[in-house]
Amino acid sequence: MSQYRVQGKGRVSHGKPVSFSFDGKTVTGLGGDTVASALLAQGTHLMGRSFKYHRPRGVVTAGSEEPNALIGTSRGPGRFEPNTRATMAEIWPGLTATSQNRWPSLEFDIGAVNDRMHKLFPAGFYYKTFMWPKSFWDKVYEPVIRSAAGLGVSPSVEDPDHYASRYLHTDVLIVGGGPAGLAAARSAAEAGAKVTLVDENTEAGGSLLSEPGVEINGQPAWSWLESELASLTALGVTVMTRTTAIGYYHQNMVGLCQRVTDHLAAPQDDQPRERLWRVRAEHVVLAQGALEKPLVFDGNDRPGIVLAGSALTYLNRYGVRVGNAAVVVTSHDSAWFTAFDLAAVGTTINAIVDTREAVREDLLAQAAALGIEVLTGHTVTGTSGRLRVNSIRVNPITGSTVGQGRDIACDCVLMSGGWTPTLHLFSHTKSKLAWDAEGKTFLPAETLEDCQIAGAGRGLWGIEAALVDGAEMGAKAASALGKAAASATYSVASDRTGTGEAQKELPTDKDLTSTRAFVDFQNDVTAKDLRLAVREGMRSIEHVKRYTTNGMATDQGKMSNINGLNIAADALGKPAPEVGLTTFRPPYTPTTFGALCGYHKGAHFDVTRKTPIDPWAEENGAVFEPVAQWRRARYFPNTGEDMDTAVMRECIATRASVGMFDASTLGKIEVVGPDAVEFMNRMYTNPWTKLAPGKCRYGLLLGEDGFIRDDGVIGRLSDDRFHVTTTTGGAARVMDMMEDYLQTEWPDLNVWLTSTTEQWATIALNGPNARKLLEPFVEGLDLSAEAFPHMSNAICTVAGFPARLFRVSFTGELGFEINVPARHGQALWEKLWDAGQQYDICAYGTETMHVLRAEKGYIIVGQDTDGTVTPHDAGISWAIGKKKPDFVGKRSLERPDIVAPGRKQLVGLLTQDGSKLEEGAQIVLDPNQPIPMKMVGHVTSSYESDAVGKPIAFAVIEGGFDKIGETVHIPMPDRTIAATITGTVFYDPAGDRLKM
Amino acid sequence: MTVIPFDFRPGTLVESAGVSIRILMPKTRLSLRARTAAVPAISRALGVAVPEKIGQRASGEGANAETEILCLGPDEWVLLTDVEQVGTITAAMDAIYKEHPHSLVDVSDREITVEIFGDKATDLLTLGWPRNPLSVPIGEARRTVFDGASVVIWHDSETSWRLNGWRSFMPHLLGLLVTGCRELSAE
Amino acid sequence: MLLITCPYCQETLPEAEFTYAGEAHIARPADPSSYSDEAWRDFLFVRSNVKGAHFERWRHFHGCGRFFNAVRDTVTDRFLTVYKAGEPKPDLAKLLEDAE
Repeated sequence: MSQYRVQGKGRVSHGKPVSFSFDGKTVTGLGGDTVASALLAQGTHLMGRSFKYHRPRGVVTAGSEEPNALIGTSRGPGRFEPNTRATMAEIWPGLTATSQNRWPSLEFDIGAVNDRMHKLFPAGFYYKTFMWPKSFWDKVYEPVIRSAAGLGVSPSVEDPDHYASRYLHTDVLIVGGGPAGLAAARSAAEAGAKVTLVDENTEAGGSLLSEPGVEINGQPAWSWLESELASLTALGVTVMTRTTAIGYYHQNMVGLCQRVTDHLAAPQDDQPRERLWRVRAEHVVLAQGALEKPLVFDGNDRPGIVLAGSALTYLNRYGVRVGNAAVVVTSHDSAWFTAFDLAAVGTTINAIVDTREAVREDLLAQAAALGIEVLTGHTVTGTSGRLRVNSIRVNPITGSTVGQGRDIACDCVLMSGGWTPTLHLFSHTKSKLAWDAEGKTFLPAETLEDCQIAGAGRGLWGIEAALVDGAEMGAKAASALGKAAASATYSVASDRTGTGEAQKELPTDKDLTSTRAFVDFQNDVTAKDLRLAVREGMRSIEHVKRYTTNGMATDQGKMSNINGLNIAADALGKPAPEVGLTTFRPPYTPTTFGALCGYHKGAHFDVTRKTPIDPWAEENGAVFEPVAQWRRARYFPNTGEDMDTAVMRECIATRASVGMFDASTLGKIEVVGPDAVEFMNRMYTNPWTKLAPGKCRYGLLLGEDGFIRDDGVIGRLSDDRFHVTTTTGGAARVMDMMEDYLQTEWPDLNVWLTSTTEQWATIALNGPNARKLLEPFVEGLDLSAEAFPHMSNAICTVAGFPARLFRVSFTGELGFEINVPARHGQALWEKLWDAGQQYDICAYGTETMHVLRAEKGYIIVGQDTDGTVTPHDAGISWAIGKKKPDFVGKRSLERPDIVAPGRKQLVGLLTQDGSKLEEGAQIVLDPNQPIPMKMVGHVTSSYESDAVGKPIAFAVIEGGFDKIGETVHIPMPDRTIAATITGTVFYDPAGDRLKM
Repeated sequence: MTVIPFDFRPGTLVESAGVSIRILMPKTRLSLRARTAAVPAISRALGVAVPEKIGQRASGEGANAETEILCLGPDEWVLLTDVEQVGTITAAMDAIYKEHPHSLVDVSDREITVEIFGDKATDLLTLGWPRNPLSVPIGEARRTVFDGASVVIWHDSETSWRLNGWRSFMPHLLGLLVTGCRELSAE
Repeated sequence: MLLITCPYCQETLPEAEFTYAGEAHIARPADPSSYSDEAWRDFLFVRSNVKGAHFERWRHFHGCGRFFNAVRDTVTDRFLTVYKAGEPKPDLAKLLEDAE
């Protein structure tokens, strides 16, 4: 047992040693320790190096606000986490922890040279220094700065853990399990509300865990806590520990991050490491307490200088004394109690230094009784000690004069600058704060949320006050839910209440330009930096923050915001409330990307929609590509084939005999009702009245702005029923657009829309042998060219399955699309595949489909159009029903900018050297013009083509229709390619092959 | 992450202490759209009192006992029935079409239905369902969203739910649910 | 994530079930061809972009599927009311008074 561990004290398991490694050395702590408390128990304060100056830093807090003691924790490959707060990391046998931002070791760090040169690195240093030359930024400055500064190292191996997420609905969510939160839970639960209580610590209790001497309702605090938690559980309260409320969003949506396995030596395989909860609460009670502020004085960041309240926690909760010889420096009563408790277990208190002139009599009396020297009306003007504080310099203040200094030896300094209510979550929803002039801090004022703040979070101090307030706020929450509520009463003995005085930077007799009084420990921001920012013209606190980086570290300014504000306000000569606070943003504490991603990684990164024929494609070696949320077979390579070779083979086979394609992803909408044809006339550009049942027509859909939105072949099944197809990616959008018009513009029409995309599996057969292959399978239909010509549809049976058969083609070959109920899709595919062997059938994917359609000049909406292309621009004005009085987008086709000359128009391109163009490449008219060149368009589609015998491309080019036959140029990094503008139909322009 | 075989063969998908998932036999599923004024006529034609409140369900009687109808929207219902009934239903609806125009579309193959049952069935749904499960009374159902995908969730008893979603989304949704089952077992 | 009341379902539900559908009360003219270029431009593109109470459309996409109207304060994200498509525009002054 080390000399710093106090036998029998605290909530750690004294009989249960737990060993872990820190920087390669074995450290033995106790069950219930954090890395910080275990290191402190062996006398180690030095736990990290600071961000910018690499100053040696010790642990300064005992909670999630810790700015200094950031470590890496690991449980094997991929399970390394940088920047973990040692104060929150629970130890378990086998834990590997390492310090960071130091080289070669924590005790001797080369980077500490930055500290010697600190005058070279004032606030705004980076902005002033690394401006030029511009080319240095990427290659020199950024890499060097990134490796020199910064926190832990990112893991380089994929995280093998899994992360979970849940939604939770509760009547009352209470954030914080201290006295206020516990009392709120009781009131609300007793009134019959469903209550969820969350606390970021390993156990509920909050300040009670550090104050075992208090008696509540006649019971010692810890036994009261134990019975109270049991009683709350019996009342149905859900208590979640190790659970941090990270963000508070509108209408009482609170995000929680629950740490499930980080503290376990051997987690089960199926346990998620962390779980993100999205809580919707009818009412929220924030009982998050207050955070202690450091005092701002020269050298206030040396290892061994700890917040007094945290030292109290280390002693009473973990049984650890933070040192043998302490000096307490404070402007608040609370630190005096730390001194008394430590003195009682053998730490020498060399002095209590209070900045206040007058201090409560009872505190003075107790200090006197313990033989502690008390220096009221004193300031601190410096400290010494390299890796650990070894003395502190204190001076008397008389009026505004700082008197002669005196050094007091010590191995730790316990400081308290008072307490800041924790208002981060409250502020996330843009709730308003009000300045409390007396406490020199902000308190919660107005909120639109159904939310109460209880206890120290609204500036109340002491355990009885917190209990009473919590009970009242819990009752308020229950009443707001219409439940009759009463608040319990609490009597508290030995409550250590107190008050304090807020300070700016402590007065000093030193030259203020030479002091190093830290405000933001994690980002190495000093009071001097803040003053410099103001001197250099920063007026808004938001600018001061960004210029100095005060409050921008991973602790989000938990310790530094109010001190920073008070110092900046002073420098600006303005009252603090006029300067205001910077914006608090989620998350409250650093949160892993894993928790935010939840299940959405790997194969579940996004929904992957699969067609009924997908398993066949997978079995047959398809290479897939994502199209909207679908995965589609892109091509089917034979052994050793690359994409170009496979696609060329698929194209040749289809044009020579027959190819088969899974078209199931095409959107399908069934339009049914007496007004179906009227609806179609209004939605699509084409005329539909004269389309006979059993026939199909290409349909073109515009937005009201006149630009192409979607297209597809539409079959009229009967007078009142259309089978509309859409593009794969457009299906949901088109359906939404149609519903919008139907519901809100034309509610009088008797017509209804049903999505049938997934009802049907769709197999496209294309090629001169398509009919020969299909015919034997079809019952009840004559497939001959005369009886069932191009653009026909029929209901029939294919291979015994009920089918909707369309004679359509997106390849220019004789083509059929067979729709069968999805469950039969793969069976039909396999039958056709087997029968197709006699015709050397080929399965082809989306890439071949793209080539075949491009050879025929068929556009793909979204590839050859981009939301600014009209039917005329795309060369498909023929699809517009000129005689129709109106359709969606018709009026816009007369808009001045749409009828103006010089619009980009879709044309074909053939390169003069026979090379293939890059899709997206920009096009110019004169390749010799100076840079920046005038770009007149770009390549939209480009493919090798066997049928044409050379590569083909589509492009949109300004005034393209009038430039057919002219040469344009496509500048590429290595050369400029010349191309001739052509029409878009490269193959079988007469369409003879469609009519076979 | 679990990869779900894509044949949707009816039967147990996953079994665990707290919750199990079973893929149900396909039923005939008809999408019915009509104006409210047509509801009495449709009720007579179907022999089922067509519910008009969104989320409410009704079942037929006698020969119609297997027919279940759920109101999904102010002008939208889904009918679940046996394949033998389809002819009768279609004929009855065709007979009133002129006077009470409507849309009846077979979407039997569009969706896959699973049953989720067990003491932790409701907990399992909270993995991807933003709304409060208990806001759907037992005996009702809602079209809603689950992990980004449209689904219909049926609350059948305290410990039993049905979820049906479009076929192509089901590998993703079932993968998530199976992961959730394991996770709940490890709690 | 907001909570939104669907006037058709009469339930208050998570925003995830809904999709936003732009400003409300911009009706498509019965005869667009009678509109001047300027009037048509305004119909297509010009929106109020208010700071404060905004009349807007939502669709209960993953639910009953209906488009409906809402008045939402764009500063606080509070909904002042929701109402069915086709119902008259509510009196804003009265809504603001009720919200006080």
